[in-house]
Amino acid sequence: MNRTADQPEPNPLREGLAARPVPQPCSIVIFGATGDLTHRKLVPALYNLAADGELPPDVVIVGFARRDKSDDDFRRDLEQSTRKFSRQPVRDEIWNTFAQSIFYHRSEFGDEAGYEALVKRLNEIDKTHGTRGNRLFYLAAGPEQFEPILKNLKAASLNQTCKGSWARVIIEKPFGTDLASARELNRVVGNSFKEEQIFRIDHFLGKETAQNILVLRFANAIFSPLWNTHYIDHVQITAAETLGVGTRAGYYETAGALRDMVQNHLIQLLCLVAMEPPTDLSADSIRDEKVKVVRSLHRWSRSEIAANVVRGQYTKGAIHGEPVLGYRQEQNVNPDSQTETFVALCLFIDNWRWADVPVYMRVGKRLPKSATEISIHFKKAPAVLFNKDLKDVNVLVIRIQPDEGISLRIHAKVPGTSFRIEPVKMDFHYGTSFGKPSPEAYERLLLDAMSGDATLFARRDEVEEAWAFIDPIEEAWHAKKDAPQLYLYPAGSWGPEAADDLLARDGHAWRRL
Amino acid sequence: MICWPVTATHGEDYKKLVMPAAAEIYSLGAPVEIGNIEQELKKLWRDSEGAMTRASLMNLAVYSEQSGSLQNNTQLMARITENHACRAIVIEADCAVGDDNVSAWISAHCHVSSVGSQQVCSEQISFLLKGGCTVQLPNIVLSNLDSDLPLYLWWQKEFREPMDPQLWTWVDRVIYDSQGWSDFRSQIHLLELMQAETKQRLVLCDLNWTRLDNLRFALAQFFDHPASHHRLAKITNLRIHFAPGFRSTAILFLGWLGAQLNWHIDEVKSSHELRFIAASAQHIEVELREQNGQPVHEIVLTSGDVVFQVTYANCGDLLEVLRTQNDEKRAPQLMPAGNNDPVGLISEELMRGGPHHVYLNALNCVRDLL
Repeated sequence: MNRTADQPEPNPLREGLAARPVPQPCSIVIFGATGDLTHRKLVPALYNLAADGELPPDVVIVGFARRDKSDDDFRRDLEQSTRKFSRQPVRDEIWNTFAQSIFYHRSEFGDEAGYEALVKRLNEIDKTHGTRGNRLFYLAAGPEQFEPILKNLKAASLNQTCKGSWARVIIEKPFGTDLASARELNRVVGNSFKEEQIFRIDHFLGKETAQNILVLRFANAIFSPLWNTHYIDHVQITAAETLGVGTRAGYYETAGALRDMVQNHLIQLLCLVAMEPPTDLSADSIRDEKVKVVRSLHRWSRSEIAANVVRGQYTKGAIHGEPVLGYRQEQNVNPDSQTETFVALCLFIDNWRWADVPVYMRVGKRLPKSATEISIHFKKAPAVLFNKDLKDVNVLVIRIQPDEGISLRIHAKVPGTSFRIEPVKMDFHYGTSFGKPSPEAYERLLLDAMSGDATLFARRDEVEEAWAFIDPIEEAWHAKKDAPQLYLYPAGSWGPEAADDLLARDGHAWRRL
Repeated sequence: MICWPVTATHGEDYKKLVMPAAAEIYSLGAPVEIGNIEQELKKLWRDSEGAMTRASLMNLAVYSEQSGSLQNNTQLMARITENHACRAIVIEADCAVGDDNVSAWISAHCHVSSVGSQQVCSEQISFLLKGGCTVQLPNIVLSNLDSDLPLYLWWQKEFREPMDPQLWTWVDRVIYDSQGWSDFRSQIHLLELMQAETKQRLVLCDLNWTRLDNLRFALAQFFDHPASHHRLAKITNLRIHFAPGFRSTAILFLGWLGAQLNWHIDEVKSSHELRFIAASAQHIEVELREQNGQPVHEIVLTSGDVVFQVTYANCGDLLEVLRTQNDEKRAPQLMPAGNNDPVGLISEELMRGGPHHVYLNALNCVRDLL
């Protein structure tokens, strides 16, 4: 990706050593340092980067949270969780060195004095650890805490830096719950930080296969002429999981599958599939093209929403042969809950390339298997030659997780004297072809934030445009009159029948995963 | 049968190979007629049992004239293919024998993939060439390539004339280790002739250079911040500690700094003392110190009142990087040192792509010292 304005002149000794922007020394201040995300994802990711030699030596982690803890207590807690969640075994000698750069700062999020003390501490760290005044603030706290944190960062002038250094803020989703709240959040963040300082993290974009979509499309000339309405019949995007709501009921009850998954992850994947080639690989060039896709999404009337969006909720059933509860019986879920755990949509992108190509998306909990895949279904070959209508079409499948890879279904003649044609699959598996495991999404994204590369982070307009698409659906669902039905489906099935009907009316069917 | 792991006690021959503790010894597999290799390979997959996937991203040919290399390189290939699926072509040549003769074997290296429990297998074709090696070699390699995949040729020990352009025009990357060369100039001259023959398409991959990757990375990171760039122009002293037999490795490191920072040789005072001059006329005193340890086990660079130091940590596979200013030390950091064994170096090399122009610049900077 290209160098941005706040990135340094290249180091001549780096030539040929790294094909990515170099991360800069900095203090990473994690708000919500005692929470799950810090323990399960962020610190294990930073440890893995250190163990792989990708983390600059002068990086310091400062945990900011309310609980009373010493630096040593915090290090011990993190060591325990990193040993549990790291993708590679923790080596004592590396951890001991890494842990020397971890500190704990106790403060309430709304306590001004806590931020003044933080300033002093960070300045001291700059002197002792060579972090050079660079600060990366990671908001891993609940969204309700964003405003006090951001206001106090600004009040303490932590949003500003001296010449040659930088301050950036990483925000975890949800980026609002609707357009109005997203705008408000963006306003609040924007009051403290400029857009180029803001990194909205969507961990789906840090996955190797998501990044590979751009390579597949723009580094392989064979796909380019086919990637449009003339050759593509329809597109399917599925994000299925076997898990239920688990311990997230409190959040999920207010969000639902549409807000939790479609507004961010699925729309981001759709953008990568549908965008035009960017002029270059800079963050803004890519995001300019992505946002055009979201803007082009066909906006439905209330009656069209009922016809094109199906929502469902799981009832009791079985997963992997084990009986599981229905959603309404889960802990902390309202027994009369109308929250959707499944959504299927048929949408259209109103632009030249994608006119009349339906894009079917489905996302759900308690489905038979966990898989996130994108499939491009090509149009049928003319039937005249083989004197038969080939029932299967060419399908290009991009598997995001698990078993990342790409496959292409083509037709082949079955050996024999008769002329029988059957579909066969050409299959590429990342795990088979490349022995080296991919880094975790958070590793890549943290490095990018440290090097100022915002390509894999969502921009303000992308987020707001996505909400502008989602809001009418939520409004229709929550209308007092004529709200579309919430369909029930048994856990372990592929969702309500209405989701199948959504495709069947166009003569299509969901891919068998 | 696809895999032939035979449990065996390590003999003397394997001691050099840095094998894992409970290593398996792989055999050459089934002997085959030269003309039937493709058919026999197909049969191998057809007759295999269980869930196996054949994978290949490249043709990796290894050529050696050392007796016993067929066995040794088979063990190396078993480990290399764990991370680099390929068609392995292992060749041992005994050129001194009078009569021309070629024997061949086929086998496969299977490993459980990083995802799931599926076995991922790479094919190996082994050849023992006797007699007119240089005549046989191009045909042996070219007739057994997996189509449409790049050809990496790992040439062990020294190149010798005649270098047959018939073969080299098909090679994408030639891998060698200049550390063991007795006459660096004549060897590099032969390679450069082949490069010219292939219109510079042939990429030169020197494992002696790959050996320096982590050290270069560790030193480079000191100068990532723009505020530290001025330090590069103020370098006055450089000390490189290297192990016996690795002088050329140390010289290449020096060449890298010289080429990247625009230094030129000003004076060669002795075999271990040199002086470079920068474009700014700043002199850089260089000391090359030979002592037992890792190939290059310490680098100390002085720029004004700051000393930058990269040194092997006691545990051996980590580098300790340390910056000292006015005798005030920062806490040292640890970085991976990489592996210096053939598997580690080849794996590192196979991860790379593109031309090695930084290497060529480094080479040119210190050509007279090698």
